Amino acid sequence: MSTLGTVGGETAAAVRGHKSMVRLLLIEDDKETADEIRAELGDRGFDLDWAPNGIDGLDKARSGKAEAIIMDRLLPGMDGLTVIEALRHEGMRTPVLVLSALGAVDDRVRGLRAGGDDYLTKPFATIELLARIEALLRRPAESRDTVLRVGPLELDLIERTAKRADRMIDLLPREFRLLEYMMRRKDQMLTRAMLLEEVWSYKFVPQTNLVDVHMGRLRRKVDRPEDLPLIHNVRGMGFILRAPV
Amino acid sequence: MRPSDFVRTTTFRWTLAVAGAFVLGTLLLFGFVYWQTAAFMTSTFDDLIVGELHIIAADASGRRLEHIDNRLRDDPRRIRLAGLFGPDGHRIAGNLESLPPGLTPDIPANAMVVRIDDRGRETENVRLVTGTLADREVLAIGRNVDDISEIADIVRRALTLGLLPAFALAIIIGFVLSLRAHNRLSEVNRRIQHIVAGDLRERLPTRGGDDPFDQLAASVNRMLGEIETLIQEIAGISDNIAHDLRTPLTRVRIRLERGREHGGTVEELRAVADQAIAGLDQSLTIITALLRIAEIEHSRRLAGFSDVRLAPLVREVGDLYDPIAEDKCVTLQVEAANEMTVHGDRDLLFEAIANLVDNAVKFTPDGGYVELALLQRGEMSVIRVSDSGPGIQEIEREAVTKRFHRSDKSRHTEGLGLGLSLVAAIVKLHGFQFTINAGPGCTVEMAGRQVN
Repeated sequence: MSTLGTVGGETAAAVRGHKSMVRLLLIEDDKETADEIRAELGDRGFDLDWAPNGIDGLDKARSGKAEAIIMDRLLPGMDGLTVIEALRHEGMRTPVLVLSALGAVDDRVRGLRAGGDDYLTKPFATIELLARIEALLRRPAESRDTVLRVGPLELDLIERTAKRADRMIDLLPREFRLLEYMMRRKDQMLTRAMLLEEVWSYKFVPQTNLVDVHMGRLRRKVDRPEDLPLIHNVRGMGFILRAPV
Repeated sequence: MRPSDFVRTTTFRWTLAVAGAFVLGTLLLFGFVYWQTAAFMTSTFDDLIVGELHIIAADASGRRLEHIDNRLRDDPRRIRLAGLFGPDGHRIAGNLESLPPGLTPDIPANAMVVRIDDRGRETENVRLVTGTLADREVLAIGRNVDDISEIADIVRRALTLGLLPAFALAIIIGFVLSLRAHNRLSEVNRRIQHIVAGDLRERLPTRGGDDPFDQLAASVNRMLGEIETLIQEIAGISDNIAHDLRTPLTRVRIRLERGREHGGTVEELRAVADQAIAGLDQSLTIITALLRIAEIEHSRRLAGFSDVRLAPLVREVGDLYDPIAEDKCVTLQVEAANEMTVHGDRDLLFEAIANLVDNAVKFTPDGGYVELALLQRGEMSVIRVSDSGPGIQEIEREAVTKRFHRSDKSRHTEGLGLGLSLVAAIVKLHGFQFTINAGPGCTVEMAGRQVN
C-alpha cells in the first residue's frame, strides 16, 4: 500500500507544482461514503470539500475553488446530471467525475453527455477513483507535437515508428495505440478499466485478462531485460509509464 | 350500485346525449317538412285566390254577384270565402261579414274573418286577397287554411307516436348496454384488483367472441402470461444469483474470520484483506454481468442500431484475441474475406463475437485451434467460431445459453458461466439465429440477415 501513497502524493504535488494541497469538491449524499472518500483522498494529498446535496454542491462548485468535482449521480434536491448541466451552462469548465450505482451503459452515456468528464460505477476501488481524478487533473493538452518523448523512448506519430534510444521497436497498430496513450499520460497510474475504455473503447469487461496480455507484449518490446524498465506494473491496480530517474 | 350512481356512469351519460341529439334531429326534420309543406300549400292557395279575384274582377258588374253566388254554392267543404263591399265598406254580397282592416290590395295575407251563411256566424282563419274594382267596390276572395293546421296536427301526432317511443327505447337500450358494460368492467376491475394484490395467475374474463372487448381481454391475458413467465424466470435467476454470490461471499467471510483469529503480522492481515477484496470483486462482476444481460434483454438499445460492417469487426476481435491465444499455445485463425453488412448495434455485436472467441480460446487445450470465420450463406451472413475443445454435449446445448450454466467439464476453468447467455441475449435482441453444432470440438454460429 505504500506504493499507492507515493503515487497519490506525488500526483497532487506534481499537479500544482508546489506544496499546497489540491482542492476537490465531493457531492455525495451518503455521509459514510463521503467520510471514507475524504479520509482516503486526504491521505494522498487532496483537500476535499464535501456537499451533501445537489443545491449545496452547485453553490460550492460555483465558487470555483475546486480543481475537480466528484459527483454522485443520484442526489436529493437536485439530480447530479442537472447540477453538471447547470455548471456547464454557466461556463464552468471544472472537470467532473460522475459516480453512480446505476451501471448501465445508457446511463453512462447520459452522464457524459450532460457534461461529465468521466464516469465510475459504484462500488469502485479507491485506486480506480484516484487514477481517474489524476487523469482528470492532468488531462493532456491538445498537443501538436508529432513526436512524443518519455526518457529514451520516442514515438513518431507521423512515421508511425517507435524507438528506444537507438533501437527501433517494431509495433503492431494496437500496440502503437497503447503506447501512444501511455506516453501522453506518463507518470500516471492507468487502470485496466481506463485502458479498456480509452484505448480499445470497450464498454464491457472481458472475462480474460486482455489488458495484461497486450501490455505484456508491449512491455517485452519496450523493456528489454538489459534496459531500465519504463512500464511498471502496479500490482492489482494498473500500469505506469515512467522515465528512469 | 345505486340508481344515482348509475346515472353518473359514462356509458349512461353517453346514452342520454345520443338520445337527446336524436330527438333534436327528428324535431328539426319534422319542423322542416311542416314548414315546406305549409309554404307550398299557402302558395298554391294564393295562386288560386288571386286567379279567381282576377276572373271575377273582369266580369261585368251584373255577372259578378251571380259568379260569387255560384262559387259559394259549389263548395261542399265550406272552404271558399268571397265578399263584395261597397266603397263605404258595407257588404253587398258574399259570405264575409266585413272586410278585415290592414289588407294591401292584390297581395294575399292571413286574416281572421267571420263567415256568415245559412248556418250562422263563424270565425275562421283564412288566406285572403282583396282587389278594388272600377266602380270603387272592393272584392275579397279567401280560402280556409284549416288544411294547413291539419297538416301541423298530423306532424305533431306522428311526432308523438314515433318520437316518444323511440326516445324511450333509446334510453332503455342505453340503460341495458350501460349496465352490461358496467358489469363487465366491474368484473374486469375486480380481477385486476386480484392481480394487483399479487395473484398473477388471475386472468380477465373472455366470452370466446371476437368483439373488441374480448380482443382486449385476450391481449391483456397474453401480457399477464408473459409477465408470469418472466417473474418465474426471475425467481429462478434469483436462486442462481443467491447460489453464485453466496459461494464467493462465504469464502470471503471464512477468510476474514480466520484472518482475524490467526493473522499475527501486518503482512498476514494484508494477504487476508487482498483475498477478501478479490472475492468481493468476483461477486460484483457477477452482478454487473447479470445487470448487463438484463439491460440487453429489455432491448433498450434498439435506438443504437445502424448498419454494421462485419468483416472489420471480425478482424478486430481476431486482433484482440491473437496474443491471448498465442500465450495459450492455441492457433487462432481469422477468415473474413467477404464484405457483409447487417443492421445492429456495433458494440453489442463486438461483445458477442468477443465472448464466443473468449470462450473458445478458454476451453481449447494447449496445441489446439480456434477458427473465427465470416461466411455468406444465401441472404444470411454467418459468424462461425469453431474450436478443437471438449465441445458441448447435445443435452447441454440449450442449457449453456441460460444464465450461470457451466458445463461439468469446465468447472475447473475460470469464468462466471455468463458468457453464452450474454451472447444469446444479444442475438435475440438482433433477431439473429444462434446455433451450437456438433463437433469435432465445438462450433457455434451467429446468423443474421444482410442489409443491401
